[in-house]
Amino acid sequence: MTPVLLLPLGLAALAALALPLLLHLARRQQQRPTVFAALRWLQARPRPRRQLRFDEPWLLAVRLLLVALVALLLARPALQGVVDARPRLLAVPGIAPAALAQARARQDVEARWLAPGFPPLDVAPPSGPHPLASLLREFDAQLPAGVPLTVLVPARFAGADGGRLRLAREVDWRVVEGEALPATAQVQAPVLAVRHDDAHRDAARYLRAAAIAWRDEDDGTMPDVAASTRLPAPGVTLAWLHAGQLPPELLQRVEQGAQALLAADAAWPDGVEPAAAWRDDAGQPLLSAARLGQGRLLRFERALAPAEMPQLLAPEFPHVLRELLQPPPAPTVVGAVDYAPEAGAVAVAAEPFDLRPWLALAIALLALLERWLATSRRREEGA
Amino acid sequence: MSAPAMLSPEVRARLRTLRLAPRLARGDRGFGLHASHSRGAGLEFAQYRAYEPGDELRQVDWKLHARSDRWFVREAERDSPLVAWIVLDASASMAQADEARPDWSRLDAARVLAACIAEVALRQGDHAGLLAAGGDALRLVPAAAGSRQRERLQHELVRIEAAGGMPDQARLGPVWERVGPDALVVVLGDFLDPALPELATRLAAARREVLAIQLLTVAERDFPFDDGRRFIDPETGQALPGDARALRAGFLARFGQAQRELHARFDGAGIRHAVHVLGEPLLRPLQALFGAGQGSAGE
Repeated sequence: MTPVLLLPLGLAALAALALPLLLHLARRQQQRPTVFAALRWLQARPRPRRQLRFDEPWLLAVRLLLVALVALLLARPALQGVVDARPRLLAVPGIAPAALAQARARQDVEARWLAPGFPPLDVAPPSGPHPLASLLREFDAQLPAGVPLTVLVPARFAGADGGRLRLAREVDWRVVEGEALPATAQVQAPVLAVRHDDAHRDAARYLRAAAIAWRDEDDGTMPDVAASTRLPAPGVTLAWLHAGQLPPELLQRVEQGAQALLAADAAWPDGVEPAAAWRDDAGQPLLSAARLGQGRLLRFERALAPAEMPQLLAPEFPHVLRELLQPPPAPTVVGAVDYAPEAGAVAVAAEPFDLRPWLALAIALLALLERWLATSRRREEGA
Repeated sequence: MSAPAMLSPEVRARLRTLRLAPRLARGDRGFGLHASHSRGAGLEFAQYRAYEPGDELRQVDWKLHARSDRWFVREAERDSPLVAWIVLDASASMAQADEARPDWSRLDAARVLAACIAEVALRQGDHAGLLAAGGDALRLVPAAAGSRQRERLQHELVRIEAAGGMPDQARLGPVWERVGPDALVVVLGDFLDPALPELATRLAAARREVLAIQLLTVAERDFPFDDGRRFIDPETGQALPGDARALRAGFLARFGQAQRELHARFDGAGIRHAVHVLGEPLLRPLQALFGAGQGSAGE
């Protein structure tokens, strides 16, 4: 445990120590005129005595200490090497209750959930899918080097990412029994409804063809294509092939979470920031997307005609369009044994323990003491 | 300060225990309270003495003559009124007050003491007069008796202001003109300036009975300063800067020595004296000088 100054230049403020010294000296030199008729007995042996003496030594000492502490505060004092060396245990939410109870019973470790905020193990596990791999890297980076870490993982868990786990320490990676993962729901193909005007009658055909291609089996249902401005029932993806401004009902529906495909001559509503989502081989944007509320607006950047946009005729067009509307989730479920972390990451230096809050508290108390000393002295004189 | 405020009823009541009693007074100025040592016509029988030519025939005690066949003259003590002069130092040093009570100066205390003395004198039928010397001015209230005199004196006392130094001996001529022999002179002052002790001793040497009440401040008695000061003499304007703590011991020693010398000088001149330090009970010096057991009992 070493006390260090993170900003030693702040000690230059110690020069301000001269201030209270001068104040107390100046008060000495200031001599109060006093009427004194018996002067002749004073004058008998005038002794010009110049002595370096300070008034009110206690008040001076407190003031000097106050200035010194403020200078120290500016120099940002800290303690290096303050390490909480208790072993840590992290439990991945979803481990079996037996293993959890066993982990809770251990007294020699500090046990936490591997979840955002790392709540203690005594509370209920936070729900929801978490980026467990990222959280584990974060916890490892914040943990001082050399502190042992145990992780309890179920045999299969979700929350992994594409990178291998490389941590700064050897982790005791214990695979325990886990609860069954919820089955991933089968993703339904989006249902497309097309509303177009006369100018986009031909363009609607390509979208209709794509929607037919999305069907899982040929059940004979046909996409809802109409040359009108009437909105379809909620819950479908709407292709709005009209030029100009979007109707407010449509914008409202998008803000509540729907997606809408727009023709190239539709106008973006105010306040959206579109970005290219699909480019052709030359890098020119074919489709731009923009968030609006909880939903999304996607606009073709070219007219939906093969002459303008040959990709319409490509066999993979329905697939590409579906992925744009329904981005496939990244695989996150891994087998715990295969995902065991390896050591070798560079350990981050431990952050020194900041002493400034405590120093500020001491300064505040000392300032109170100084005021008390100064004012009580004044009271005494006034009495 | 109006006249009633200058002396509270309580103070007046306590003044009744005081008597102005001269040691040297003679009974040749009419009737009064004071036992004199000159024999003559009067009420109180003093002694017989042999007849001398020139004695009034009505003073001869004929009954005694019938028994002894000699002429004796019956003598009585004559009571005479006293003239009390209050000589007040009104130089600038009298304006000095203590820091603890800046509104109560030496002069304020001297005013009340003077009013007390006048009250005592007038109440017992004596004459009282006032001489205030300060700066170039010499304020005078001629000696007289009666309640009008009390008001005149208090009126004059209120108007006195401390300024300047002590007048030199030449300017003090009216003192010698007014204060007759055998008068009682009470000198109120700080006696720091040598002119005032000089005046008192000269008056005493010239057969006036002189009493001195010295008024000192707490600062002169204790020197209670402990910081840097610039001491200023109010009369000369001289200034002495210094650290009071360093000056204290020397000042107290020298000032004490000077006081002892002054008191020895008073004693040598037959001047009864008392010291009043501001803040002490005001009547204490009066009781010391005029209380029971003082005055004629000292003879």
